Amino acid sequence: MSPWAAAVGHELRSAGRERLPQLLLMIFIGMSAASAFIGSAAKATVTEVYNSAAGQGLTNAANPFGNVPPLYYARNTVIYILLIGALLAIVIGVQSAMRDRRARTIDLVLTRLLSPAGYLGAKMTGIGLGLLAVLGASALISVVCISAVTGSIPAPDQLLRLLALFGVAWLFLLFFVALGTLSGLHASSYTTALLVPIVIWSVIIFVLPLLGTAAHPVSLLNPVTPPAAPLTGIFALTGSLTGPLSLGEQFKHVAAILLKDPQATGTMTGGITVILAFLAAGISAVVLTGRTSMRKELHD
Amino acid sequence: MTDMAIETSALAKTYGSKQALEALSLEVPRGEIFGLLGHNGAGKTTTVNILTTLLPASSGTARIAGHDVTTGADRVRRSIGYLPENVHFYDNLTLTENLTFFARLSGVPDPAARIAAALEAVDFTGHGQEKMSSFSKGMRQRAGIAQAILHEPAVLFLDEPTSGLDPQGVAKLREIIISLNQSLGMTVFMNTHLLAEVTKTCTSIGILSSGRLIYQNSVAATLGAFPDQASLEDIYLHIEAGTPS
Repeated sequence: MSPWAAAVGHELRSAGRERLPQLLLMIFIGMSAASAFIGSAAKATVTEVYNSAAGQGLTNAANPFGNVPPLYYARNTVIYILLIGALLAIVIGVQSAMRDRRARTIDLVLTRLLSPAGYLGAKMTGIGLGLLAVLGASALISVVCISAVTGSIPAPDQLLRLLALFGVAWLFLLFFVALGTLSGLHASSYTTALLVPIVIWSVIIFVLPLLGTAAHPVSLLNPVTPPAAPLTGIFALTGSLTGPLSLGEQFKHVAAILLKDPQATGTMTGGITVILAFLAAGISAVVLTGRTSMRKELHD
Repeated sequence: MTDMAIETSALAKTYGSKQALEALSLEVPRGEIFGLLGHNGAGKTTTVNILTTLLPASSGTARIAGHDVTTGADRVRRSIGYLPENVHFYDNLTLTENLTFFARLSGVPDPAARIAAALEAVDFTGHGQEKMSSFSKGMRQRAGIAQAILHEPAVLFLDEPTSGLDPQGVAKLREIIISLNQSLGMTVFMNTHLLAEVTKTCTSIGILSSGRLIYQNSVAATLGAFPDQASLEDIYLHIEAGTPS
């Protein structure tokens, strides 16, 4: 086994033994499983209200939930990825960087054959593989739950779209892993290491979209429908500046197209480009961390 | 192949305006147990950090087993083992898991065999499945030496190896260091404060004072050169006192 592969394996083993990521992981997978049933309950409630209204002759329009595609039931997963998944990714990244600093083993690592970039790259690869397994399990659970709710297995093209959603989620979450790792490598204490990326996450997910759309904050928790961007005025200007940086909105837009949301327009290219650009910047910043920064002592 | 395990020439290190190491020129032949002495802040740990490639020098050159620490850092890392002053491990892993990880990072092809040999060399067999969190300071030091010799390095760097150990621990560690030197032919470079230990363990010494090497000789020659001094401690204080700071 090469030193690089050893570092990847070590990362997977160590991360698997930590409590906090395990807890968040359980919540994330649980919520992914619940997503289809929440969608099913929403459909049942709306249909019941519709039937009642239609029975009283209040409407003769078609039931808006009468013919929802199976992918509809995965909509809530997008928000869990955005909220719980991103927080999970940050915690995993911080814990990974802090593990060496807390254990004070970095000098033993750096006097061996892997360069700092090689070692940090191996750590990111290990986490990436772990995250891939988590998202793979979530995807499987989603398919099982959607099948249970709809009574049939989604068609192959729908399965592919679902897999693509989790693939994009992997890229999206890896950026937050990199953000957490970077903070863990440079922060002077564990608390700061956790706090900084969470503040950045809240800015990316909530503040930037608000600056760009003046949207009501709650609307940002709408699974896939993007907030309407104003065409004139100050928010049109800020929107053009902050829009590309609103990683969460870009992810939601890509997810909306993948899940065939009827309100989603345009293509995925821009959103995926932004996600990849964030990811490339995050990973580059991690692997370019120098020997001196890695050896910095922790103050708690 | 050079006969020198360690060679430095005009090696210097500055931290901002502070000169931590000044024109250090040092030669340690293969097979020696070299003790680097000096007061706190003399530059001993800085020296070890540069020689183990953890820290870049500000100027000058250093070669370990013939390899330059800057241009041949990878080859240097293959040639050295390192025990930091306070050695730490991943506490949630067992000793064997820790050693396996470090062996693989050193490119050891058969970690299990080397771990068994290293634990035997430090007289520590039977502890492999224990979690590191249960280890005492003395046990950690022995585990630390085991991790340092996994890849059979030519040169072993020990930073204050006996610091914080009880007398039995010090004696055991001394026995291990001498055994590694004599049985496996490893050159040992150690920083230490315990001058009594230097007499019993080292074959040669150097004295650093405020970043400058003010003395280097074999222990036997040093003891012979200062017949009016009762011990190595007296000799050290005598040499230090004669050095303008």
